[in-house]
Amino acid sequence: MVNQKKKIGGYLLKINQLISGYGSVQILNGANMKVEKQSIVALLGGNGTGKSTILRAASGLIRSWQGTIEFNGEQIQNLPAHEIVGRGLVQVTQGKDVFPAMSVTENLKLGGFILKSKQQLSDNLEKVYNYFPRLNERKDQLAATLSGGELQMLCIGRGLMSNPKMIMLDEPSAALAPQIVLDIFKNINRIRQDGLTVLVVEQNVRMALLLADYGYVIKDGVINVEGDSKKLMYDESVKESYLGGTKANV
Amino acid sequence: MFNKLRIGKKGENIIFGTFVLLYIGWCVNSPDMNIESLKSVLTIGLSVGIIYGLVALGISLIYTGLDVVNFSHGEFFMIGAFAGLTMFNLLGNQDWIFNIFPDAYGWIIYVVCLFTAFVSMGLFGVFIERVFLRPLTKKGGGYTVAGMGIIICGFGLSVVLINVAYLIWNPVAKPFPAELGLPMEIGGLFLPITYIWMIVVGLSVAAGLWFFLNKTKMGLGIRAVAYSKDVSNLVGINVPLYISIIFGIACAIAGIGGTLVGPTYQVVVFMGYIILMKAFAAAVVGGFGNLPGAIVGGFTVGIFETASSFYISGSHKDLYAFLLMIVVLMIKPTGFFGVQVKMKA
Repeated sequence: MVNQKKKIGGYLLKINQLISGYGSVQILNGANMKVEKQSIVALLGGNGTGKSTILRAASGLIRSWQGTIEFNGEQIQNLPAHEIVGRGLVQVTQGKDVFPAMSVTENLKLGGFILKSKQQLSDNLEKVYNYFPRLNERKDQLAATLSGGELQMLCIGRGLMSNPKMIMLDEPSAALAPQIVLDIFKNINRIRQDGLTVLVVEQNVRMALLLADYGYVIKDGVINVEGDSKKLMYDESVKESYLGGTKANV
Repeated sequence: MFNKLRIGKKGENIIFGTFVLLYIGWCVNSPDMNIESLKSVLTIGLSVGIIYGLVALGISLIYTGLDVVNFSHGEFFMIGAFAGLTMFNLLGNQDWIFNIFPDAYGWIIYVVCLFTAFVSMGLFGVFIERVFLRPLTKKGGGYTVAGMGIIICGFGLSVVLINVAYLIWNPVAKPFPAELGLPMEIGGLFLPITYIWMIVVGLSVAAGLWFFLNKTKMGLGIRAVAYSKDVSNLVGINVPLYISIIFGIACAIAGIGGTLVGPTYQVVVFMGYIILMKAFAAAVVGGFGNLPGAIVGGFTVGIFETASSFYISGSHKDLYAFLLMIVVLMIKPTGFFGVQVKMKA
């Protein structure tokens, strides 16, 4: 960890006053976020607060109406999605978004679609199998036959295939057993130690804050609270607005 | 109520098998039934079937890739035939080709015609997709959301393309006198060489498409785009470009189909419409959206149609394809190969 702190040189992703939404429905009302290089940042929030919308806007799946998204010193908010992947910003969707009729290897190869050389592709394949040995055991199976945890591993592995600078994970713990969640979060930490920046969108607040260095809490399309994850974990307003509040209401 | 009527996969197969046996029995009882006629029925059926299969392949490809049914696909078939014919007329008077290849003169010209139809229809398909269909998706959501508009646009496009072809080539049926050689003898049957060309070229195109989709990087991308546009975007695939490529390939295959039937029948402006309908039947029979199913469905429709018009009644030739489609939809609505891969919960 100490080692990591020294290397940090500024922010990799900066989101400034971002306004976006679906169709004519505005979801984000001016969100501000910064992600430091080689850190893990958690983006927390309840259902329908705009967590995934930020990710979709950053990865180019939806247009941003106003505001800027800056990645690696370059404005990317109006680029098509495949060019954003080419610049090293990859979104990893929830586990069900794999290609079910293709084998695990084919799924992973698709992740490295933008790579030019075959050598690099097979190197990255080795790297992903190294992170997730379970995928190596099942590399010739159809993705449809994998379990929930393996699907999530496959999605993360697919995101790593294109040599990204930063990956954005959309709820990696959704609908998984605690043991598997722990396993996946350990691997996310390993990924960071290998030099990548990670943004995690989570509903599992405790796990996410344990993992992350810094946290943002989003509410109604704006960032409500932000701070070091250790601080956020004991922050009264977080508990109230997000943890306690939802629990009490449900 | 309909839940009780479900018969299950085994029941479907049994009922369908009964229909097939009844049909075969009917044909065998026919006075024309003998081994010679069966041979020619099978050959003609296969050669017609591969044409239906090629067009159905394009319809299925567009359906899997763009989530819409392209009702103007028959017109790409027709214009492909005219493109091949135009090239044939250009090359037909050139003596230098004859001087260089005195033996294989006809073949080489015909291959050039097929290639012309393939390339020109591919480019034309990309042009149509970019100029006429893409703007309909401007509102967002891509082809999946704009589906109905695109289907209507396909009907309109069909009328427009027929009339443009009418203005350019006028409605007279034109011969396509490709010199491919003498009829060939296979198993005691003399076959016009064009039938063999149809089957061989058609199967090679289908095999080439299979190889392209399964063994190349671009094919992998096309399969990914066909499954999910969003996820394909996220792995860095240029989805709008790939949609154009899918449309272009489907149209190019239809163009080859048009040039293939040219020498056997004739090239006429109205040839696309009935082919589209029969290819649609073939795609449904094989399983809509399934590419090997399209070829198998094409063969099935072709053989069924030829056999029925030979053994049952020749005056209702165009009816049988749709009869088969209706029977398949009643008994086996997914078609022969219409299996969906389901996700585990």
